[in-house]
Amino acid sequence: MATLTHHARVHATRVIERREVAAGVVLLRLDAPELANATRPGQYVMAIPPSGEAAATALAVYEAEGKLASLLFFVIGRRTRELSALDPGDCLAVLGPLGNGFDCSQRARDVAILAGGVGIASVLLCAQRLLAAGKRVRLFYGAKTRELLVDAQRFADAGCELILTTDDGTLGMHGRVTDALAISPPPEMIFSCGPTPMLRSVARYADELGVPAQLALEETFGCGVGACWGCVVPLTAASSQAPGFPREDRRGSDVVHARICREGPVFWAHELRW
Amino acid sequence: MVIVRPSLAVRLGALELAYPTLMGSGCYGSGEEYAPFADLSKVGAIVLKSVTRAPRLGNSMPRLVHTPAGMLNAIGLQNPGIDWYLEHEVHKFAQRPCKVIGSVAGFSVDDYAYVCERLAARDEIAAVELNVSCPNVESEGETFGCDPSLTGAVVRAARATTEKPLIVKLSPNVTDITAVAREAERAGADALAVINTVRGMAIDVDRWKPRLGNITGGLSGPAIRPIAVLAVYEVARAVKIPIVGQGGIETLSDALEFFLAGAAAISIGTANFTDPRIPERIVAELDAYLLERHLASLSSIIGKANVAFSTPHEYEGDEG
Ligand SMILES: Cc1cc2nc3c(=O)[nH]c(=O)nc-3n(C[C@H](O)[C@H](O)[C@H](O)COP(=O)(O)OP(=O)(O)OC[C@H]3O[C@@H](n4cnc5c(N)ncnc54)[C@H](O)[C@@H]3O)c2cc1C
Ligand SMILES: Cc1cc2nc3c(=O)[nH]c(=O)nc-3n(C[C@H](O)[C@H](O)[C@H](O)COP(=O)(O)O)c2cc1C
Ligand code: FES
Repeated sequence: MATLTHHARVHATRVIERREVAAGVVLLRLDAPELANATRPGQYVMAIPPSGEAAATALAVYEAEGKLASLLFFVIGRRTRELSALDPGDCLAVLGPLGNGFDCSQRARDVAILAGGVGIASVLLCAQRLLAAGKRVRLFYGAKTRELLVDAQRFADAGCELILTTDDGTLGMHGRVTDALAISPPPEMIFSCGPTPMLRSVARYADELGVPAQLALEETFGCGVGACWGCVVPLTAASSQAPGFPREDRRGSDVVHARICREGPVFWAHELRW
Repeated sequence: MVIVRPSLAVRLGALELAYPTLMGSGCYGSGEEYAPFADLSKVGAIVLKSVTRAPRLGNSMPRLVHTPAGMLNAIGLQNPGIDWYLEHEVHKFAQRPCKVIGSVAGFSVDDYAYVCERLAARDEIAAVELNVSCPNVESEGETFGCDPSLTGAVVRAARATTEKPLIVKLSPNVTDITAVAREAERAGADALAVINTVRGMAIDVDRWKPRLGNITGGLSGPAIRPIAVLAVYEVARAVKIPIVGQGGIETLSDALEFFLAGAAAISIGTANFTDPRIPERIVAELDAYLLERHLASLSSIIGKANVAFSTPHEYEGDEG
């Protein structure tokens, strides 16, 4: 994976725009020039809810351009609700950029991005980078229903070929992104972010067709910075992302636990043992 | 007029700290993880993640659940084991701008003594904390820290291996924490850390299953603060050695509760997940608090809400 030199720090950002892009989905644009400049595709921040009464929460950096960095998130619980109530002019402190993102420098020319739901937030920078490198980028983008396929046009405008799916058939193909991928010509490489069950089926598909896949995993985080070991995923010890750590003495096991927040969040599908 | 800045320095036995704030074991990694976000030179000491004799893969996922005013964790002591740790990690601690305290966990008395001896032999380690909230696999799996005599045995064995300051971290999951505290003091502890996490559980009502891979976990954060304040209050009446108070400290006022209950220092764990700037903020606010009240040092407030320090007082048990 793209191992990144760490430019992480605390950024005191200011909200410049808050928009409800769909029911329960909020786009928060921040004035954060240094964050925007330092962020690489697939990286995230830990956003600190201003009340100081809840743990910081992980959110992907959606846009990063000039002095603007943005967050795109589903309002599902206390912390995302608090962040969704911020107004232009309000301050928001974030830690970042964090994690090892997508490796966009691979040689593959014909790539597919698979995004499920809010996983779309993790792949815009990735799509932009791949397109800038002259690759053919197909975006397989799925959601529960048409309203939740937010910002699809944005990807099309950037130059992605769009293949949309909805669980209820209200837009695009009726089914899941992996169903759409299965009936399309296989790409040379997959980049994916979405709910864990979707990533598992992406991994299965990638394995069957022998297509290398980079998966951005999601998990409940504690610290988000590698300190608490609360966010691990089983990984083959042979992975370059395996923490330099001796194995527990379990006969025949070559599995180590890597931190999603630190060694990830992006892993090669074939190296996961989940 | 000369303004004399108050001193925030504290002593835990022979361990001298410039600030009264420790970063809780398991919550701060080895400090390196938080270095981009916090000024470690304003930290009293970092307590490292607990280390064991053999490497441990730790528990299966999920290991964390956010709960009202806190979180449950069941990490399962994932760590590389003492050999690897000494070879690859410990030398890095010399570069930390604050003191570093090792934390030792074990599954037998001998485990504790072995790891303690090897860790304490290193100059980078200023003191050793014993995490006695582990099961004794040589017996029926009872938790060391829940049994005064087992705690005593661990502390005596560790004491025999090192002159370094020894902090014993007490579990709140006991009927009488003072009995364990007294035994730890008798066995040679230099200080007590009060408290470790409180046992708890959360259930996913959609899936009808426990939320943690390990089923049970330890609760931390503001949810346990009143439990921790009481424990510090009671332990302060029972022992003479200093106490490191902890459990849900997030603000100056929280910190003051612990000092007033009898803690000589405090430890901050889960609050770092809320905002890594919290420890530095508490230190600055403590400084301002003492200055405003013309208090020369923290010792002027330690235990001041603890009636046992002024009048011997038998209290009647809980209200209501
Ligand atoms: C690296 C990383 C990047 C992320 N990027 C984004 C992003 O860009 N946009 C975004 O919206 N989210 C993203 N997430 C997920 C986001 O962190 C969580 O949605 C957020 O922490 C929820 O916090 P909360 O306090 O609002 O909800 P919580 O109180 O933590 O959760 C509320 C309830 O929702 C349930 N729940 C938790 N997660 C989900 C889920 N994914 N789907 C449905 N129910 C759930 C919980 O079990 C709980 O009952 C990311 C996560 C990671 C690890
Ligand atoms: C994720 C996590 C991991 C922890 N790991 C350890 C550990 O390895 N050893 C230990 O003695 N205490 C451990 N603790 C307990 C903390 O050090 C601290 O005593 C406790 O959480 C209460 O303080 P707090 O509410 O400020 O976090 C851990 C706590 C958390 C939240
Ligand atoms: S969330 Fe703490 S190590 Fe990943």
